[in-house]
Amino acid sequence: MDESELTVRRIREGTVIDHIDEGRGLQVLAALSINGSDGGVVTIALNVPSAKHNKKDIIKVENILLRDDDTNKLAVIAPRATVNIIRDYKLVEKHRVSLPNSIGRIFMCTNPDCVTNSGEPIESMMDVVDKTGRVLKCRYCGRILDITKLRYM
Amino acid sequence: MEMRGADVTSIRDFGRGDLEEIFAATDRITDMEPGRRRQLCAGKSLGYLFFEPSTRTRLSFEAAMASVGGTSFGISDKESSSAQKGESLADVVRMMSIYSDAMVLRHSLDGSSRFAAQVSDKPVINGGSGTEEHPTQAIQDLYTMRKVCGKIDGLTIGIVGDLKYGRTVYSLLHGLGNYDVNVYLVSPESLRIRADSVYDIKKKTEYVESDNLNECIDALDVVYVTRVQRERFPDVEEYLKVRGSYVIGADMLKKMKEKAVVMHPLPRVDEIAPEVDSTPAARYFEQARYGMDTRAALLALILGDGDL
Ligand SMILES: [Zn+2]
Repeated sequence: MDESELTVRRIREGTVIDHIDEGRGLQVLAALSINGSDGGVVTIALNVPSAKHNKKDIIKVENILLRDDDTNKLAVIAPRATVNIIRDYKLVEKHRVSLPNSIGRIFMCTNPDCVTNSGEPIESMMDVVDKTGRVLKCRYCGRILDITKLRYM
Repeated sequence: MEMRGADVTSIRDFGRGDLEEIFAATDRITDMEPGRRRQLCAGKSLGYLFFEPSTRTRLSFEAAMASVGGTSFGISDKESSSAQKGESLADVVRMMSIYSDAMVLRHSLDGSSRFAAQVSDKPVINGGSGTEEHPTQAIQDLYTMRKVCGKIDGLTIGIVGDLKYGRTVYSLLHGLGNYDVNVYLVSPESLRIRADSVYDIKKKTEYVESDNLNECIDALDVVYVTRVQRERFPDVEEYLKVRGSYVIGADMLKKMKEKAVVMHPLPRVDEIAPEVDSTPAARYFEQARYGMDTRAALLALILGDGDL
């Protein structure tokens, strides 16, 4: 992470999600169900100039160390994002998000007639059938999801 | 796959070997002495949960179950609305799994059977789920092709009618993916197969889409006709315009190969003219009989003691 790019203060402990595709920052928050209701400090920077890609969004979540389980799902929304784990002001871990083989819970199936959208006691489950092409298939109705229209559970 | 105790939620779960096993069991059951056949599921019960109108599929399952000595009971369309009374599908399925040894579910939601199989501790058979799948219909259709054409590999098959909403079409295409076939998909532009449902189909089967049956009729070994329903069209004029182009009558028969056959999942409305019924090409009533036998074989494989 290039510290000079950051317009917000350093954090002592927490997670920084960097290189989020421009304009996707708020979607990333929704997908991670981060809304600040736990009282922790959350900093969001949108449209930050970036050397690598024109512009990017950045999210810093203080005192929460996000797990790969959660952040890998972000590869659907922000395939270039990096996850930085900070402990005692030091970067202890850094990796790019990578699509898991399947994604449970967070996304709703884009087929309105799918049983997962019906109010039955059931959580969505998407199989990632093509990682490079980001093709997701609902395990229940079998339809390919329109990832431009994803909504969150 | 192990058939005993298996769910039948999607035809996609069945490989060629599994299908051939069901076909062989169907052949055996058809030749079996009725008394012995009635032992296959003696003492076993099939619960049906039909949340959408269907007499045909339900009757076929009931007849199949009776022929292997089992009993069936359940709720269908008329009672289901009051039976459910805001109750979740999950609870109705759990209830049925207490009363029966296996159940068959028809429901308007896509993926409903896969979900039911998760909450049920008894085998669940998909009797039609939304516009998604109708796997036992596909098994019946494939068996019919094998029976009336001798084999499935090498066939040129035209699937005609409402391909967008026809769940039988998707199951049939997934099933045909196990064989080496040529497929024509013939429908009005607005009723073509859904783009978000063909990902797996495309990987296994090459098909040609067309809106004109005349373009391929002379190449087909099997003409598989489905209903084109008026309510699928936003305006009646468009419906009336296309309706006639997907009807099989005497003139269309003349253009077909000598040994080509006409199939239909039934019920038909006017897609096949009555004059076709008495010709050797008409195989849809035979297809219905195979529906009962393939379902009986399936039930015996799922519920029986392995003596088949
Ligand atoms: Zn779905």
